[in-house]
Amino acid sequence: MGIIATSRLKSPWIMHFDNSSCNGCDIEVLACLTPLYDIERFGIVNMGNPKHTDVLVVTGPVNRRTARVLKNLYDQIADPKMVIAVGTCSISGGVFHNCYNVLGGVDKVIPVDVYIPGCAARPEAIIDGVVMALQKLAKLQGVAL
Amino acid sequence: MAPRTITPFGPQHPVLPEPIQLKLTLEDEKVVDVMPAIGYGHRGIEKACELNEYPKNIYLCERICGICSCIHGITYCEVVESLWPMDIPPRAKYLRTIFSEMSRTHSHLLWLGLLADAFGFESMFMQYWRIREKVLDLLELTAGHRVTQSVSIIGGVRRDIDADMKKHCIEVLKDVRKEVEALSNVLVNDYTVKARTIGKGVLSYDQAIALGCCGPHLRASGVKEDCRMQGYLAYGDLSFEPVVASGGDSYSRAAVRIGETIQAIDLQLEALGKMPEGEIAAKVKGNPPANEATMRVEQPRGEVFYYAKGNGTRNLERLRVRTPTYANIPSLLVMLPGCEMADVPIIVLSIDPCISCTER
Amino acid sequence: MIDKLKEISKDQLLAEVKKYADSKAKFVTGSCNDLGDRLEVTYFFNASPGMDMSALRFTVGKGEEVPSMTGIYLTAVLIENEMKELFGLKVKDLAIDFGGHMMLAQDSPVLPMLKSEDQKAAAQKGGN
Ligand code: SF4
Repeated sequence: MGIIATSRLKSPWIMHFDNSSCNGCDIEVLACLTPLYDIERFGIVNMGNPKHTDVLVVTGPVNRRTARVLKNLYDQIADPKMVIAVGTCSISGGVFHNCYNVLGGVDKVIPVDVYIPGCAARPEAIIDGVVMALQKLAKLQGVAL
Repeated sequence: MAPRTITPFGPQHPVLPEPIQLKLTLEDEKVVDVMPAIGYGHRGIEKACELNEYPKNIYLCERICGICSCIHGITYCEVVESLWPMDIPPRAKYLRTIFSEMSRTHSHLLWLGLLADAFGFESMFMQYWRIREKVLDLLELTAGHRVTQSVSIIGGVRRDIDADMKKHCIEVLKDVRKEVEALSNVLVNDYTVKARTIGKGVLSYDQAIALGCCGPHLRASGVKEDCRMQGYLAYGDLSFEPVVASGGDSYSRAAVRIGETIQAIDLQLEALGKMPEGEIAAKVKGNPPANEATMRVEQPRGEVFYYAKGNGTRNLERLRVRTPTYANIPSLLVMLPGCEMADVPIIVLSIDPCISCTER
Repeated sequence: MIDKLKEISKDQLLAEVKKYADSKAKFVTGSCNDLGDRLEVTYFFNASPGMDMSALRFTVGKGEEVPSMTGIYLTAVLIENEMKELFGLKVKDLAIDFGGHMMLAQDSPVLPMLKSEDQKAAAQKGGN
């Protein structure tokens, strides 16, 4: 393992995927990248390509059209990978639980490692969640964070 | 004739935080035809609104869109109130106005940042978002949350702005106004920005009306139309004049939004000063009667239209929400053909698309 | 109550819409509602520039064909497709036909906006 495992922890690349969220959590994820919260200090870089990604950040409930897209993206990400579900509606469907086109939380389609509650989840909580995912990744790889 | 290729733009694209797909037909680098494919964000909120009780719908309507959420909640409350019809206390009207304008400020700053990002001006993107955080802090202080406030309830509002908060708000807003002005000066006068936006995605006065556009997009084509002219909430008492530009291109749209950001701050300052004392919510008894009502409110992205029909029970019979992007998407069919592939992101962004609104 | 609402029949629709188009009014939106055995369609227009809104309304039986106004107002294409998809309103001669999959995916419920039996029963009972 050695240097690759350590580098993965010191600079994880994330990809953000929006299912059918209300945007509330999306703008909070984006806000994490801007000066006040500045998630880049953990070496985190936002990527648009699933093959470059270590951590998949998902917002919003899975609906009937995005379910396939999400599964597809997840399969393209190389192992080891982490999935973070941001916001109440990506955990369980939240306020959208009785909408006819919504299937429910992200874990209906792909396995989730960290759940971040909140509607919308606060940037502080999101950063905390990402760090938690990194801890989990460290344990998985058997290296110290 | 050069061979034609069809290129999909989206549903995952860096300039769009949200999923929408445009199928572009290209002749070399020139776009000759465009076909939007939407539906990635369809949840079925209108139906769920018929299944929930009246107060619960506030939360659902707010989550039609998380960026203009506060105004969605306010509009829903307004339309339900006009089913009776009932009056709300004047202070509540002022508070709703202030919260609306605050969310307009944050939404426009967000858009200006995304615009800067779309042509690769990343430091300006960061600057706009840094300023925006100050407005979000104010929203958190007064309305209780950064993005989804749920501050409006049927009959009034949930939270008041006391004297200390008011003083703090005025200070911060004045500060924000100065910063926005300074930064926007750069944006409107910069050579590169002009080169990338002037004459891109032109929509004439007549086209804008024929295509039913709304909001800053419409006003950038010279049409003086703004729902706030109706004088709902407290806008009748405030000195409000729509911001209009005449170019009809992406540059004018940016100029209108900059003007509106400054104006929104001024309106907040004025409303904070004029706000009358008194109750913040009226008592509501029972269910609304069987009746129909419509409400048109100006959101950051344009006019939102609510149609509600009650039937005397605890559920709505029908709620129809027409959001601004829903009206603005057809204009892409006219603006995109003829432009170059590299300009597509900026033109699409210039209507300030909000997809989760459109598809509900 | 809606101000300036005009009840018409579906055969008058295109002529009435043409009048709006000639006076350079702006199409705002449409709304459909399930009345049991009929569908009620309302179209809203705005006299631009300004804030003066008026509306047209007609009802049709389920399964009846309705003319499309996309020949006059292209922008109505989204709402007409939506009504077709979610309510089963049979709009003919659409300028762009998404074929029932503008909003819905392949495995979504069919005509989801029609009233369910539970909803009808609750409305019948009235009160709380
Ligand atoms: S958790 Fe709430 S704020 Fe976040 S995307 Fe879902 S509905 Fe929107």
